[in-house]
Amino acid sequence: MIKATLLFWIPLIMIGLGLWLSTSRKSKILGLVILVTSSLIFLASPWTVPSSDSTAGAHLILSIIAPCILLIYGLHGMIFGGHVPVGRLDSTARLSGFFAMFVSIGIFSLMHWSSFTPVWRSDVNPYWIVFWPTMLLFSTSLCAAASIAMVGYGENRFAESVKLAGMSILFAGIALIAMLIDGEYTTANEFRDYLFLAVADIFGILVGGILSVAIFALVIWGYESTLPNPESTGPPTEQELKKLVEIANNHIGGEEE
Amino acid sequence: MNKSLASWKLLLFAGALPILVILALNLSLGEGIHKEAFKRFANSILTSYIVVGLILLGNLFFYADSRHRPLAPLVGMLVAVSFGVLVVWSLTSYDDLLLEANSGLRSQLLSNIVRLIVGITGMSVAALFAVGFTFAMITGRERRILFKEEE
Repeated sequence: MIKATLLFWIPLIMIGLGLWLSTSRKSKILGLVILVTSSLIFLASPWTVPSSDSTAGAHLILSIIAPCILLIYGLHGMIFGGHVPVGRLDSTARLSGFFAMFVSIGIFSLMHWSSFTPVWRSDVNPYWIVFWPTMLLFSTSLCAAASIAMVGYGENRFAESVKLAGMSILFAGIALIAMLIDGEYTTANEFRDYLFLAVADIFGILVGGILSVAIFALVIWGYESTLPNPESTGPPTEQELKKLVEIANNHIGGEEE
Repeated sequence: MNKSLASWKLLLFAGALPILVILALNLSLGEGIHKEAFKRFANSILTSYIVVGLILLGNLFFYADSRHRPLAPLVGMLVAVSFGVLVVWSLTSYDDLLLEANSGLRSQLLSNIVRLIVGITGMSVAALFAVGFTFAMITGRERRILFKEEE
């Protein structure tokens, strides 16, 4: 337990702290150092603390890093290979980005249906079957919402909206195939069971987060509403008016230019 | 499509619909809702509530800094988070109401946190994909010339 605390849980907390500090102006470098160091310790935990069940989470994140990087590379190429005013890439970047994005989706699919599956203690990683249906369901949901937003808020964006709807259907299709065809380590029956848990996870995370933010807003509002109104300031003194006129005079005229 | 049609309600519906369709298909294929689904939902809500609450509690320190460090909001948020912890503790200890396939209270709590991280990772990858692909679609079209001066 102590080993797991030192090599898994404390680094996990420190990742959050590092992220927090790296966004501040004063301790940016310290934050980055903490973030990188604790991330490395956290990701190494499947080897440093193999006895802890929780390290399967770190093992999963490590397993999906490669397709995620490929996905980011692909999306970057697709976005900046298009018609952007700044930082435009070569026109081939769009095609290679498109290819990289589909390869990354392919790798994720192979992780379910092929030997690419993240294996932990000679069995499928217990968190893979949490991640995979959650990602599929949320992707299909967000792509559908983005498709409606595109046609609703944009002008003449029907073609783009159809492509986004197509992506939503693609993810729904992958989920449907997984519901019908057994994976390398997970049967279709097991996947169907985990799909319910993934829906419970998605709605639970969203509802819990929104509830917390609502209570936070309520606490702030409650406190702010008890504060007295700020006192009115008195009229400017002769000295203040004199200073004001002096400043105004310095900025009116423009003879020197 | 006019702006009123593209309201947040429609977006919410568009987001929920594919999940509901897949769920309906899943129900028609399987043997009903998984028996642990409601426990998972409750665990997810409580864990997410507590973790987001703790992050917001941290943010309150910055807020307090700009308001001459008042204690009231800090205590208020601390009480709200503590209430969440108390609910988790009591529901998990009492007659395994929230206990899933874990040996005890501690392992359930730790498993909840790891599941939350994995769940958020899955949702983040999905968000990255959806947002990235949307921008890729936007930048994919030739820029329209709105004014002659742009030529």
